Formats: sequence, C-alpha cells, structure tokens
Amino acid sequence: MIEMIHPGIMSLVVDGGRRGYREVGIPTSSALDLYALSSLNHLLGNEGNAPAIEVFGEKFSLRFGRDVCCAITGAKVRASLEGRPLHSWMSFEAKAGETLTVDETREGFRYYVGFSGTPVLEKIIGSYATNLECRFGGYRGRALQKGDRIDFEDIRMVDVQRIPEEFIPRMMQPHTLRVVEGPESNYFTDESWEEFLGSKGKTAFTVSTKLNRTGIRLNGKPLAFRTDAEESIISDGLLPGSIQVPGDGLPIIQLHERTLGGYARPALIAKVDHDLLAHLKPGDSVMFEMIGMEEAELLFDMKTEIATSIKN
Amino acid sequence: MEIHERVRRYYFFLKSLQLEEITDIIPSFRSCLILFDRKKTSYEALTASLRDKEFLMTHINIPEPKTHHVPVEYGGESGFDIDFVASHTGLSEDEIIEIHTSVTYKVFVVGFLPGFPYLGILDQRLYVPRLETPRLRVPEGSVGLAQLQTGIYSFESPAGWRIIGRTNKKLFDYNKEPYSIFQIGDKVRFIRA
Repeated sequence: MIEMIHPGIMSLVVDGGRRGYREVGIPTSSALDLYALSSLNHLLGNEGNAPAIEVFGEKFSLRFGRDVCCAITGAKVRASLEGRPLHSWMSFEAKAGETLTVDETREGFRYYVGFSGTPVLEKIIGSYATNLECRFGGYRGRALQKGDRIDFEDIRMVDVQRIPEEFIPRMMQPHTLRVVEGPESNYFTDESWEEFLGSKGKTAFTVSTKLNRTGIRLNGKPLAFRTDAEESIISDGLLPGSIQVPGDGLPIIQLHERTLGGYARPALIAKVDHDLLAHLKPGDSVMFEMIGMEEAELLFDMKTEIATSIKN
Repeated sequence: MEIHERVRRYYFFLKSLQLEEITDIIPSFRSCLILFDRKKTSYEALTASLRDKEFLMTHINIPEPKTHHVPVEYGGESGFDIDFVASHTGLSEDEIIEIHTSVTYKVFVVGFLPGFPYLGILDQRLYVPRLETPRLRVPEGSVGLAQLQTGIYSFESPAGWRIIGRTNKKLFDYNKEPYSIFQIGDKVRFIRA
C-alpha cells in the first residue's frame, strides 16, 4: 500500500495506454514518456507498459505501507527516502512506514514513480491510464490527491539496479524536435517554413503556459497561411505528435488525448522524439528539424534497440 | 459513391480482415487512418497487401446501420443557446425543434470525445456558427449545432457548439462493449421529450 502525502502539481496513474478503440474516439491516454516508463518497469521487474505514477512539480511525497522496491525515472529529480538522498533512474528498497519525497526537478519536467508490484486498480478498456477529461481509468478517473491510498499485489523484492548514464536521455532545453512533413505542409508560405525550421539561425518557438496532457501550445512568430489555403480542414484522424496550426498561426503539439483534429498539420513530430514532449515546460526553446520518413523509422528502430539492450 | 460511404465500406473491410498488424483505425469524414505495428509489417508491405485484398470489398457483409432514437429536452436550462439560434435564424423555438426532429441524421464520425457522434446533414435553416471562444463546460448529453452538423456531448466537456437541448440517453459506457452506442454510418432520429 502507498499513501499520497503530496501530489506535487499533478500526479496521475498512467501506463502504455489504450489501444484499438480510436474508431469510437477513445484516445490512448498513455504515459507521455514511454521510454522512461519502460526503463522504470525494467528496473522493477515489471512488464514494460505496466502502470506507474506520472508526476510534475515538486513536493511530491508518499508513504509506504509495506516493504516494496521503488524507482523514479523521467525528469532528473532530487529525492530522498526518510532524508537519505536517492538517485533517479535507479531502484531502491523502501520499508513500510518510510516516506519518499521529491524536492526538486533538475532536468526535464515529468517524472515517473513505480513499484515492484501490481496496483489494485480496475483496468478500464484494457488500461490503467487515466482519461482525465472523461474521468475514467487510473485512480477513480482523476489525479491523485493527498490521502489517496493504492494497494499492491504480487509484490516482489528485486535487486537494486541503475540505468547507466549513457541510456538516460538529455531533457535540457533548447529542445530539438525532429519532424516529418505533415499532410497540409503546402498550406504555409515558404517564408513561414524557413522560419519554422529556424534556417535563419534563430530559435523559432518557446513553450507557452498553455500546456496540459492534451497538447502543448507554442509561442513565436505565427506561421502564415498561403492565400489559397483554408485555415481549417475537414476533421481528420489525428496522430500523437501532430503539429496543428489554427487560424492564429501558432502551433499546437497534440499529445495522446485526441483522435480527431480539424486544423492544418504542417508537420508531425517523429516518434523517436515523442518522449521528449513530456519534458517541454513553459518558457523552453523549441527548434524543429525536418527529416525524411525513412530516417524517422530508422531513428525510432535504433531507439527501440537501445531500450531493448538495457534489458540485456 | 459518396465519400462517407466509401470510408464506411473501407473501415468495415479493414475490420473484416482482422489483421493483427493493424492496431487502430480512425475512420473520419474523408479518410480512414490506419495505425499499424512496425514490428509486424511496414508501410510498403501493408499498403501492398491491402491493395491485393481490395477485391474482397464487394464480398464482405457490411453491417446494416443501426437506428437510434434520442429523446431531447429542448430549450430552457438544457438548451441554453436556443434563444441565440432563434435570433440568428429568425425561427421560433418550436420551428427549430420541428426542423431538428424532422431529419434522420447519419453518423459521419465518432470522436472528439469518446462516443461523440458528428451528425449530418443539418437543415440549412438551422445553420449557426460555432462559438468563437468555446465554453469551458457543458453537461453530458448536451445536443449542439455547428454549421451543418449536429452532435451530442457524450461527456461533460468544453464545447464550441450551440447547445439547444439535452438527452439523458447514455451514449458511452466504459464498463461494457460496445463502449459507444454509435458507430460510423448509424442513423439518429431526435425526439422531443
């Protein structure tokens, strides 16, 4: 059992997400940093997409009701167990009655707290992920609050391990996000494209404060629509990582909570960089780099291979 | 064949193949987005294999669209935008209800929210623009209009459509399949409650 003492700014139960029902509008609601989630589960001896708590903000704290192994991955944090300092990306043993506290996020934005057992929560549509907007899944369909308790079953103690430094991604800004061309790439002027890709040597965009688990709005010079292009499209299937540009010209990066979109998509974030989207925070600089589809596939395969090699 | 019917047929054709490499399908107004597992296939291999199988399309049984009757309490607190719709269209509340309930709508897409049906085609006389700034919350079951579409909010949600009524019909139940009562191609008839 764990008991929440402080949820940080927000913490919620996530996993690898819901699959197979986008046809009726059910989004995946998965963890935003799936690499951090699978590394976490590797440290704890869980299946790769097993549930964990996704957190952002400081002061996160919980108390252990039983002996269990625990780990934190994702953003690099300064954390402690009963005052003893802990490393991120490394498992540790916690004893019943001890308190885990996260005091500071040093690099990155969202971090993942996991346990060597299975939470006693109901799977909804095949997943533990919280759909915050529709209030289902996770812990009673909502973010965790002080006093919430989650029981665990099948708890096993595992050897303490750490993820080697070279396998921990860089999460510092400026963020360079690799993109592939989107279906409406020709809706925008050549000049806008040049600026979007920062070919004039300047950072194109910063992350705005309009940021949540559905999308990330960027600030910067608005993209200009060509005079012959519509400012919206007929709603179309939407992929995570799609960059949508509404009439005001400012890009929105879609995350894992929508299946349809009605705005022009100049580009899509390559899957290899989706995990990095979890770590964009207000004020961060963002640059885009265009790559081809083949390169995007290759880069993602290489990343998958790295993730697999951790386990060997 | 109209584009909606082509999308619908292609969607049911894809479903009928039961390919394990296809992980998700998103049929919408003019396209069918296919998500696939790259550990099991590639873009080239999947598109080639689908082209090879397309001849089967004429042989598969496409499910008959279901017809749903949706009781709606129009106007008042449930349909708080009906006065706006009346002044914008020049119609009376009764005329709006009369027109809205006289059409059998088609489910063009399910999405935006889980189980939210985009219904068309709305009678031109009920054409209203979307709100410029969406409302932060409308209750579950709210029935809205936007341009030539009407729809039902399957969850409490932010909303940019003009709300003319509310239904107590449950559109989505995450505890049992089918989770959404609507699927693409279904028919919907509104009834004045």
